[in-house]
Amino acid sequence: MNTIEEKLWNYIDGSCNEADQQAIALLIAQDEVYRNKYYELLQLNAEFAAMDLDEPPMAFTYNVMETIRAEHASQPLKAAIDKRIIRGICFFFVFTISVILIYALASIHWSAGSTSTHNVNTSVLPDLKHLLSGPIMNGFLFFDVVLGLYLFDGYLRKKSLSKIDESVQTSGQQKPQ
Amino acid sequence: MQSKFSDIELIEQTLAGNQSAYADLVKRHQRFVFTLALRFAKTREDAEEIAQDCFIKAYRSLNSFQRQSKFTTWLYSIVYTTAMTALRKKRVDTDSIDDENTYIQVENQTGGYDVNNVENKSRSYYLNQAIAQLLPDDATIITLFYNGEQSLEEIGQTMGIEPNTVKVKLFRARQRLKEKLERNLKHEVNELI
Repeated sequence: MNTIEEKLWNYIDGSCNEADQQAIALLIAQDEVYRNKYYELLQLNAEFAAMDLDEPPMAFTYNVMETIRAEHASQPLKAAIDKRIIRGICFFFVFTISVILIYALASIHWSAGSTSTHNVNTSVLPDLKHLLSGPIMNGFLFFDVVLGLYLFDGYLRKKSLSKIDESVQTSGQQKPQ
Repeated sequence: MQSKFSDIELIEQTLAGNQSAYADLVKRHQRFVFTLALRFAKTREDAEEIAQDCFIKAYRSLNSFQRQSKFTTWLYSIVYTTAMTALRKKRVDTDSIDDENTYIQVENQTGGYDVNNVENKSRSYYLNQAIAQLLPDDATIITLFYNGEQSLEEIGQTMGIEPNTVKVKLFRARQRLKEKLERNLKHEVNELI
C-alpha cells in the first residue's frame, strides 16, 4: 500500500486483510485528512456504481438472431447430410465401375493380341435398349430435375450468405476511423 | 420481458435446439455487452457491430462453455478479445493503441444530450463523457467492476491478467477517471463564467 487513496480504495472495496481494515477504520475515525478523503472517495464510488448502461438499437436481438438463422440455414448443405448416405453413394459407384471394368476386361480376347483390334464380346452384354424407354427414362429425368433444383437451391443460399457477409464487411469498412 | 430461466438453463435449452432461448440470453446481456463494446469503439455503429459479432461467436462456441465460471465472465472475455481485435484492425493506419489523446475526441459518443444546455447536464453525463476519454483498458475495468459486478478474479479471467494486476489497474483507472471528471467539470464551469 502506498498512498492514502490506495489504502482507502482497498478499504472501500474490501480487498485488504482484516488487520489493514481495522487500521484504516481507525485512521478514518481519528485523522481528518483520511476522513475527508474517505467521504470524497465514497461519493465517487457511489457515482461510479450508479453509471447507466447504454442501450443498443431496438433491432439488436433480431439482427443477431437473423444472422444466426442465416448461418443455420446454410448448415444442412454441408453438415446435415448423413455421411452414411454419401458413403453408400460412393460405394454404389465404385462397385458399379468395378463390375463394369471387370466384365469388360473379362470379355476381351487376349489371345487375339497380334491384331490391332480388341474383340470385345458384345453378344454377352445385356441389351439395354428396353431400359431406356418409358417410365425408367421419366424417372431418370425426374431425378435429374430434383437434383438440379437441389443444387440450384444450394447455389442461391451460398450467394445470399456471401451477400450478407459482404454487406457486413462493407458497413464495417465505411465506418469513420 | 426478461426470461425467468437462469443463464445456464437458457444455454441448455439453446444447445437442445431452442433458438428463442438464445434470443432471451441476448436480450438479457445486450445492454452490458453493448456498453462494453462502446468502451472500445468510437461510434455506436462500431459498438453494435462488435456486440453482434460477440453474440454470434458465443453462439457458435456455446458447446465449449465449460461452466466452471459464470456465463457472463465467459461472454465478457469474448467481448474483450473481439473488441481488442477490432480496435487493432481499425488502428493499423491511424494512431497508436496506447495513445490516450486519441480518446479525447469522443465526447459526443454518448449522444442525445443538448450540449449547449449545461444546466440540463447531470453529473452522470460528465461521468460518461470522462469514461469515453479513458483508454479502453481503463474504461473496461471500471465498467466490469461497477456495471458488470465482476470480482477482481473474474475481471482477471476476462482480460487475461492476474487479479493483483487488476487491482493496480483498477486503482489507476479510477484515478484517471476522477481527474478527467474534475477537468471536464472545471472546463464547463469556466465556459459558464
